Amino acid sequence: MNNALALAGVVIMELYRRKDFYVLFIMTALMTMVLGSVKFFHDDRIVRYLKDACLLLIWVSSLVIAVTTAARQIPAERESRTIFPLLAKPVSRAELIAGKFLGCWLACGLALLVFYLFFGVITASREHVWPLGAYLEAMWLHWICLGIVTALVLFGSVVFTAPSSNSTISFIIVGGIMFCGGHLNGVALHLRGVSGTILHVIYYCIPHLEWYDVRDLVIHDWGRIPWLAVAGATLYGLLYSAFLLGATWLVFRRKTLTV
Amino acid sequence: MIRLAMLLAFVCCFTLAEKLAPVFDSLRARGDRSGSPLLMLVGDSRRLFANQFFVMADVYFHSGYYPTIFDARKKEGPLHLDVASHEEAGAAEEPDEDDQFLGKPRDWIERFGRNFFPTVHTHLKGADTGEILPWLRLSADVDPTRVDTYVTGSYWLRTSLNKPDEAEAFLREGLRASPDSYEILLELGRVCFYNKHNSRVARNLWEQALEKWRRQEAAGENPDTHAREEILGELVREDQQSGNLRQLLADLESLSKATTRNAAIEKQIEEVKAKLAR
Repeated sequence: MNNALALAGVVIMELYRRKDFYVLFIMTALMTMVLGSVKFFHDDRIVRYLKDACLLLIWVSSLVIAVTTAARQIPAERESRTIFPLLAKPVSRAELIAGKFLGCWLACGLALLVFYLFFGVITASREHVWPLGAYLEAMWLHWICLGIVTALVLFGSVVFTAPSSNSTISFIIVGGIMFCGGHLNGVALHLRGVSGTILHVIYYCIPHLEWYDVRDLVIHDWGRIPWLAVAGATLYGLLYSAFLLGATWLVFRRKTLTV
Repeated sequence: MIRLAMLLAFVCCFTLAEKLAPVFDSLRARGDRSGSPLLMLVGDSRRLFANQFFVMADVYFHSGYYPTIFDARKKEGPLHLDVASHEEAGAAEEPDEDDQFLGKPRDWIERFGRNFFPTVHTHLKGADTGEILPWLRLSADVDPTRVDTYVTGSYWLRTSLNKPDEAEAFLREGLRASPDSYEILLELGRVCFYNKHNSRVARNLWEQALEKWRRQEAAGENPDTHAREEILGELVREDQQSGNLRQLLADLESLSKATTRNAAIEKQIEEVKAKLAR
């Protein structure tokens, strides 16, 4: 466990050494502030469009951070051959995967903290209220979602040869699930025969990332989500991440490390 | 060779800029919003974007409770945001069958997933209705000829938000883009009559709206018959307020020809005739 934590620390340091996060944060902040400066029909109370835009930018930025950070971890170690001294420490392959995952996930968590703090400040300046509970729930679910995404990308990084192809495929999968993952059962009902059955199987197998996107509830002030639902989604997310990490380890433990 | 190619490219850019600048300037001078280079590039698909932004306003009006493309509506109809549909529905907030687009959850994933998005049909009320305005503004910017956007925006501005000046400015902007729109003139008249209490100007606007409607009918453009009823109805209301019985009688007779609710109007006509006879 100590080895994994040490590896995680290195990944977190990598996040704040690289420029990705700063660029994405500054872009998000600038775009939100420009949008916030626009007045519609001399009404100062209009805020939902701003929350909508800011949360969308946060989601896009966080996904970019999670996917790009996780996708380069193992291939970069292999390419620079630093993986050999790392595994000779001794660090087991399972610890390496756990450390890389933990590092990426915690780094995403730190980035989310900054993003949501900014979101909270911006909305509080317009709405003059701070529904802290709802924001914390949204951030927590977002973080759990990024955990699944990180695990998925790490799995991709031991399956695909190049980080670029892994990133692209991961973005497509994550985007596809978020857009239509929850509706596959409805579509499957309209299909007959094998294709319907296959779609049903896919529906039950995919990670339901769409659960974690609670932007509509935050934007339109629907209040808190029942804590049992949050706990259920957390459990589902952790189990799915563990399953993906297990699959990553299964592939990685027999993988030749020379490029 | 490379230097020559670069010089050629630069000369091409210079020539293009010199040729295109007057075109864009003339478009801007005409006050035509289509002069925006981005909108010119988008072309006619701007209507699609404008419609989508209008739908987004409706999504906000329902606080995010809205069918996706996977939850197809059972029947086509006006959006709840539309003024006409809202007025016809009155204050009734009872969700109809079509509003329950979610149906019963088909499995545990769907049931559990409903904890994470809005599942209750509500409408924005009072000052909160202002939240739809950014989308209407955007819709109007993308397609200035979309009349519904102006009428809907004005309705909420003058009623829930009590901003008649902004409503009038928005409508006048729409009128500049669609000078033949009787819908905008009708709504403009309402702003003047109900909010600014200027019945003389309101009457002029409604008469102009009626004239535009008749011209469109004569040209075979099939204008909305319900809109004519509304215009005549507003004229009758103005007559009742001003106490001009002769004008009231004329407008009621026009309205009785235009509407199917003849019995009530005939009764009113008889009453006015009786008053005039005294």
